[in-house]
Amino acid sequence: MSAALRLLAALGFGTVVAYGLAWRDGISDARWLGLLAAGWLLLLLAAWPRLPATTPTFNRTALHTATLIVTVFVVLSVQLVRIQIVASRATVERVATDPLSAEVIANPRIQIDDLEIRRGTVRDRRGTILAQTLFDGGVARRVYPDPESGYVVGYFSPLLYGKDGLEATYDAELSGQNGNNAVVRGLDDLLNRPRRGLDLDLTLDAELQRAAHVLLADRPGAAVLLDVETGAVLALASNPHYDPNALFTASPGERDAAAGYWSSLIEDPLSPLLHRAVDARFTPGSTFKVLTAAAVIDSGFATPDDVYEDNGQLDVDGHIVVEYNRPDDTRDAWTLREGLAWSLNVVFARVGLELGPSVMRDYAARFGFGAAPPFDLPVIPSQLASSPEFVDAPPALADTGFGQGEILATPLQMALVAAAVANDGVIMRPTLVAALRDADGDAVRGGEPRPWQTPITADTAAQVQDMMVYNVESGIAQAALVDGYTVGGKTGTAETGDGDSHAWFIGFIGEPNESPRYAVAVVLERGGTGLVEALGVGRDLLVAGMEATE
Amino acid sequence: MMMARPRLRFTEVQLLIAPSLLVIVGILTIFLVPRGTVEWTWSDIVVSLGFVALIATISVTFSLVGFRGDQVLLPITATLAGLGLLMIQRLHPDLTALDPGYAGLAQRQLIYLVAGFATLWGSVVVFRRLDWLCRFKYTWLMISLGLMAVTMVFGTVINGARLWLTVGPVQVQPAEIVKVTLVTFIAGYLEDKRDLVGSSWRLGPLRLPPVPYLMPMALLWSASLLVLVRQNDLGTALLFFGIFLSMLYIASGRLVYVVVGLISFGAACWGAYRTFGRIGIRVQNWLDPWQDPLDTGFQQIQSDYALATGGLLGTGLGRGEPYRIPIVETDFVFSAIGEELGLLGTLAVLTLYLLLVLRGFAIALGARDGFARLVAAGLSTVLGLQTLIIVGGVVRLIPLTGITLPFVSYGGSSLLTNFLIVGLLLHISGLPRRTEELRMSR
Repeated sequence: MSAALRLLAALGFGTVVAYGLAWRDGISDARWLGLLAAGWLLLLLAAWPRLPATTPTFNRTALHTATLIVTVFVVLSVQLVRIQIVASRATVERVATDPLSAEVIANPRIQIDDLEIRRGTVRDRRGTILAQTLFDGGVARRVYPDPESGYVVGYFSPLLYGKDGLEATYDAELSGQNGNNAVVRGLDDLLNRPRRGLDLDLTLDAELQRAAHVLLADRPGAAVLLDVETGAVLALASNPHYDPNALFTASPGERDAAAGYWSSLIEDPLSPLLHRAVDARFTPGSTFKVLTAAAVIDSGFATPDDVYEDNGQLDVDGHIVVEYNRPDDTRDAWTLREGLAWSLNVVFARVGLELGPSVMRDYAARFGFGAAPPFDLPVIPSQLASSPEFVDAPPALADTGFGQGEILATPLQMALVAAAVANDGVIMRPTLVAALRDADGDAVRGGEPRPWQTPITADTAAQVQDMMVYNVESGIAQAALVDGYTVGGKTGTAETGDGDSHAWFIGFIGEPNESPRYAVAVVLERGGTGLVEALGVGRDLLVAGMEATE
Repeated sequence: MMMARPRLRFTEVQLLIAPSLLVIVGILTIFLVPRGTVEWTWSDIVVSLGFVALIATISVTFSLVGFRGDQVLLPITATLAGLGLLMIQRLHPDLTALDPGYAGLAQRQLIYLVAGFATLWGSVVVFRRLDWLCRFKYTWLMISLGLMAVTMVFGTVINGARLWLTVGPVQVQPAEIVKVTLVTFIAGYLEDKRDLVGSSWRLGPLRLPPVPYLMPMALLWSASLLVLVRQNDLGTALLFFGIFLSMLYIASGRLVYVVVGLISFGAACWGAYRTFGRIGIRVQNWLDPWQDPLDTGFQQIQSDYALATGGLLGTGLGRGEPYRIPIVETDFVFSAIGEELGLLGTLAVLTLYLLLVLRGFAIALGARDGFARLVAAGLSTVLGLQTLIIVGGVVRLIPLTGITLPFVSYGGSSLLTNFLIVGLLLHISGLPRRTEELRMSR
């Protein structure tokens, strides 16, 4: 065997190992083992002893066997490097949930750590404690004093169900692994003091969160209230919700109670574990018309005063769009402004067709559809359609124009649509965590408000704002009229396909003749056509937001 | 064994300082961890001091009886055994807290170690005639097959594998001693029939292996498969089969035996995998234990956690939580080392095994007697293979199999047998060498 071939084989082995170690996330264990086996053969080729022909059989065969054993030891060492160094972090933190019992399999070392750390305190924007760790006989007990806000922080169930919500997304900070001063951390370790996590200051307002729940009462649904200028989320309500206190387990004795509570949550058909404002999508119905109107104005196709024909129905390639919303059945011509104010489906079907599929897709993407907004909680991305080609068909495009079709949106996403209109066309990055603080109260990291998307120009935004205000002052949303404030809004009834429908309201509020301050999105799940109910929740929440500011 | 006048085994004494320090410093470290101050209990210190006294006694008596054999095997073995003892001492309090049945684990391990070192000492100093092993080769075959059969029929199932034989109050693992009897038989048989086994039958243009002379080999091949199927023990089957194949190759020099053997064994494994669901579970746990993390994959996942937690340097002795792995004291002791001593620790342990195996092969190459050469090569292969099979299983290179890590894992049968293997290697290293022949072959 030539020296060049040996060198080549050795290089091949090196390449295989380097590839396998560098692309640790890209390849499955099975594929990696296949690669390693191939690498081993190359190594064997490179290392196979070259012996003179006169070598006695026994010496030759014994050396061959020894070589074989040595190469396998080398491969074993490579595997050790992989599992102990290269892939170790992912392994240490790997967690699985059993689908049947919902029990969590996690690294017990982390679970034990979790029970010894003083996790950071979570406060709302007024300083009200939403979550805190109290030491009870040497065991750190996680407590959520506010029943309406605790579930936004999430749950912390180290021995059973792991973490969720902010407890999960900010786990490294709350548990003090990240962000803390390395010297302080080393000192704590040396002096055997319990490790301290960072505190979280939220933008959430516990009062407004409570107001949202009072308004939602026992109806399933969600409500989002945010500051349009900063993106700060003041209320993020989801009904029904759960009590994170009941999922915390410090001792095996608490496990049964927690497990019982957990299975009741899992079995509840209304899924209280689901945060509907960010983790559930609904057909937005007529609230989507705000986006369609903004798109057609911003793209220069129309102005609010352009007239569209609506004689009661529209035939799009054999697909009939029927109009039920005309206040006057004898009138066939409506301006875009009136179309929004009376929520005329035929008008917006025409607008959708006028925009065309690519402009429609473009504006939906600009408003954030198709991508999850950057947020402190995981958000499920909203969609214009299941596949981009869907809106290529004119009937589908017409339906999409007035908010049906395959559109699915989270309440947070629809609140951001309202916020774009209210904030001169700029969507600020939504935030729930305002700042991280260390034990001394010094801010470690604080976020300045940052824009996320600018879907439309300030001019377009002003025109759509006017249209939404007109809707409240002269259209079908007159119930949202509030003395002393300027309110703009849009109601929606979303057909779910099974006969039931969701009731929606999106809107904004501000002082008269000033730019709007807050945006809201409310959905009442299967709330029927109870438009006024969703509108009422949204209106009262907006007013509560204004009153809380003063 | 031919004995000469006393002579100090200086290299060995020097090298034995390492394991002595390891067990003493190690136990003090373990005591230091919980409170930050050293507070030892005599019963634990006595175990460690007893170990030091034990290896010192062995070395000194070797010097006194004038044993001239290898001076490196004993220190390597002592280091591995010392590390094993240390890990048992470290795991003992945590395991006892989980299950009182573990009380006295370290003391029992020391007793096994005493018996093991006594076996080693006996096979060097007391045992005189190696050819006696060769002469009774068919007895060894009968004992091997008999023990395998008895285990298959009357064996006790522990942890899913029928490996144990309960004799009164004690449980023994017959497969362990069979490793040695098997090597002895194969070495004796092949040494006798070497020319025949290496020869060929000519059938026209074809060169066939001498079939009748390979019959005992075929018998052993089937026995290994039976072990796999009946005892649900891939590890022992792989070990037996590896011994048999490698010795056949070493003696005959014919690669065709290896190829045919590997293919047929692979095919048999594939067939067993398709036929028996329990082997499928092993394969699943090997490739992705997360498919069933609560039940069958639990142990492997806990081991993965431990090894990954160790990282490069490890958590330090006593500072990890390896006791969370089920059966950590035997099958998964390597993961405990990985967690607390890190990658450096595991690579060091692997290096020690590699040195041991290579030293064994060096002894085999230097031996003058053909039978002794084969025995030494076979026993070295056994040590290497067993280490590779268990460590390979723990690090998920191959499906996990329940065999022990030589010298380190807790357990009497395994320790006694492995010490016997090192004892035989030492014995062979003390036999007259064939330095001239070796020089000529270069």
